[in-house]
Amino acid sequence: MSNSILEGETAGFRQTESAAGNVTVVMSMQQALNRALDEVLAENPKAVIFGEDCGRLGGVFRITDGLQSKHGENRVFDTPLAESGILGMSVGLAMAGFHPIPEVQFDGFAYPAINQIVCQIARMNYRSRGTLPMPITLRVPSFGGIRAPEHHGESLEALFAHVPGLKVVSPSNPHEAYHLLKYAATRPDPVIFMEPKSRYWQKGDVDAADGGSPEGAKVQREGRHLTLVAWGAMVARCLQVAELAAEDGIDIEVLDLRWLKPIDADALVASVRKTRRAVVVHEAPLTSGLGAEVAQLITQGCFDTLKAPVERVTGFDVPYPSGDLEDEYIPNIDRILFGIQRVLEYRRG
Amino acid sequence: MDTLPLPDDSTAAAPPTPDQLRELYSLMTAVRHLDISAVAWQRQGIIPGYAPELGQEAAQVGSGYAVDTSRDFVFPTYREMGVARAMGVNMVEYMSTHKATWHGGLYDPMKSRLAPIQAVVAGSVLHAVGWAHGQTLDGSDGVALTYFGDGASSQGDVHEAMNFAAVMKAPVVFFIQNNGWAISVPTERQVAGGCVAGRAAGYGMPALQVDGNDVVAVLDATRHAFAHCRAGNGPVVIEAMTYRRGPHSTSDNPGRYRSLDEERDGAGEDPLRRFRERLLSEGLADEPFFAQAQASAATQAEDIRAGLEALGPRPGSEMFDLVFQETTPVLQSQAASWREESEHV
Amino acid sequence: MAEISFPLPDLGEGLIEATVLEWLVSPGDQVERNQPLVEVETTKSAVELPSPQAGKVVRIHGGPGDRINVGEPLIVFEVPDNTAGIVGTVPKEEAPKRRVRLSAVLDED
Repeated sequence: MSNSILEGETAGFRQTESAAGNVTVVMSMQQALNRALDEVLAENPKAVIFGEDCGRLGGVFRITDGLQSKHGENRVFDTPLAESGILGMSVGLAMAGFHPIPEVQFDGFAYPAINQIVCQIARMNYRSRGTLPMPITLRVPSFGGIRAPEHHGESLEALFAHVPGLKVVSPSNPHEAYHLLKYAATRPDPVIFMEPKSRYWQKGDVDAADGGSPEGAKVQREGRHLTLVAWGAMVARCLQVAELAAEDGIDIEVLDLRWLKPIDADALVASVRKTRRAVVVHEAPLTSGLGAEVAQLITQGCFDTLKAPVERVTGFDVPYPSGDLEDEYIPNIDRILFGIQRVLEYRRG
Repeated sequence: MDTLPLPDDSTAAAPPTPDQLRELYSLMTAVRHLDISAVAWQRQGIIPGYAPELGQEAAQVGSGYAVDTSRDFVFPTYREMGVARAMGVNMVEYMSTHKATWHGGLYDPMKSRLAPIQAVVAGSVLHAVGWAHGQTLDGSDGVALTYFGDGASSQGDVHEAMNFAAVMKAPVVFFIQNNGWAISVPTERQVAGGCVAGRAAGYGMPALQVDGNDVVAVLDATRHAFAHCRAGNGPVVIEAMTYRRGPHSTSDNPGRYRSLDEERDGAGEDPLRRFRERLLSEGLADEPFFAQAQASAATQAEDIRAGLEALGPRPGSEMFDLVFQETTPVLQSQAASWREESEHV
Repeated sequence: MAEISFPLPDLGEGLIEATVLEWLVSPGDQVERNQPLVEVETTKSAVELPSPQAGKVVRIHGGPGDRINVGEPLIVFEVPDNTAGIVGTVPKEEAPKRRVRLSAVLDED
């Protein structure tokens, strides 16, 4: 028995044609990621996918569903249960000319692999004077929101972004997921691809033909009064907040950062020079989170026009809590609105 | 392998008495009933998820029963409900982890002698070595019992733990439940060489591979291992060969990676039915006893369900209060703004 | 919700049909994988068929005494459209709720 996502393709996604003549397809982020990986395997014979339960099971979130039966066990395979092993082996495969696309089953399972990620993957290109590039795309189901056990709801972007030699990206919707994964999985450098697991099931339009630029940040909603900066699952929440703020006459721009390293400082500055106010929202704890980096880049580029200091609305400096408390931890709509209000109220002197 | 010098203290490994055998059966029945109930509770929305241990009752109850909670300490994974029950842990407090109340469960690890539930496979194996070495440093006679599975045996930490323990002659029992499956990956694709017990030889420590579906064999092996450790002879590996009859978790669908025929062939004899037949044939128990054990198991499960349903969320302030022994100004200020800005559970 | 149908499985030894003796589950029941579903009789023996799937029973095919051919529908389960990952739950999409209102004097300087 199989309920492969790939089979679902012929079962008929709803298709619509845009004014520009592009065909968009409605699919979930799971399906978009699955399709992207399918195409990457088809287009690059050196691409290989592996990890725990990636093969026969198709991944615990079904992101690699049907790929082993379609592309064969040499291209998509299960490994023994050892994350350090999976990432260390990726280094050797990359040295042998492959493009490894390993999966770490959950964010919290990346910790046992940190040694290989930080000390090896991130440095090999540098150590070898560019002769041993590390085209490794590490997929990590990330962030919270699904009432999971411990170590299944972590936000590791600041850890990864702090490491020289790693690039980090996180999609916010199925369209971004499809295009960003296809782009990340064809880069010559290591990319940590953080999939917002609470958004896996959410459906959206995917225009496979036109993704726009896969680099940098992207304005997901235009506005005049304040910029909300977010990534991953927090983008959808910020879009909700923007709708609610509009009821109060506040016109909010939502900037989806997408790339957490390199951060698109130009896009941040362009947006905030227009709105003159900014709030950055993330699930990760406050202290030394990426919000601090974002705030500094905005301050650097917009100091003369800012109406208020950049606010941060984030998770707390506590271990990610059990399901009963996760709604208390993840920035909710009211906390974001409070942050916006503080910025709106701010007066100099 | 499979050789362990007889303990100096022969009473430590005396065969279980008829009363103990009946108690083991009652415990296994209670564990079986609670396990099946917990799956049903997940279907009914009482708990968001659960990791069944169906089929592992003999391995868990037999080993947990050997623990002396006045001096030993146990390091579980997230699938040791039967061990916890055999050790007498409060089961509402244990099951609260599956209700998503608190990650490590609500039981007191120091009082119950069971470390908090651990979601990282192999995460606590080295902790057992450290605790055990502490016994050596203190001149105490406690033994650490650490659980892990065939899947976890692939983690580097397990190998580090075995080597440390053997080098330091730490009193650790490495108890592997080889249940045949790490989610979708069968042991033959997981464990090179086919068995985890075989690895002990490389670290120069004795290993016992036991029929993990035979509760008496498991108890006997664990008691021998404890006696060996307590006598100062260093660590022991026990590999209990059993089978994960159920899914990995309540949202897993084993039909994606194994057939019903494979399950039937792999699972072998039901450990509970097998023990029941043994007690019957040896004249140690009769039908009224089995009926009573079943009724008691049902009552216990009902009490646990009622306890879980009555269990409200923990106050959100605990998120902040339990991070450190000595809190920080930043945490206090975050707690204050949390109190102001969120609707609270 | 989607439906998933299972046919009468191949019972081996070249058997092509079986007779329903007794259903052990009813529509509406939540069953677990491996739970006995139905007792059927073949020309060789009576056997209990275990459930290949965990889920809620929507329909069963054939009453006691009815013959079913191998490969014909036996039972239909209801399964959620979205399956949770190996742990946790699929988040519910809820309409956004708010307590906080925004107020601002937006000078356009």
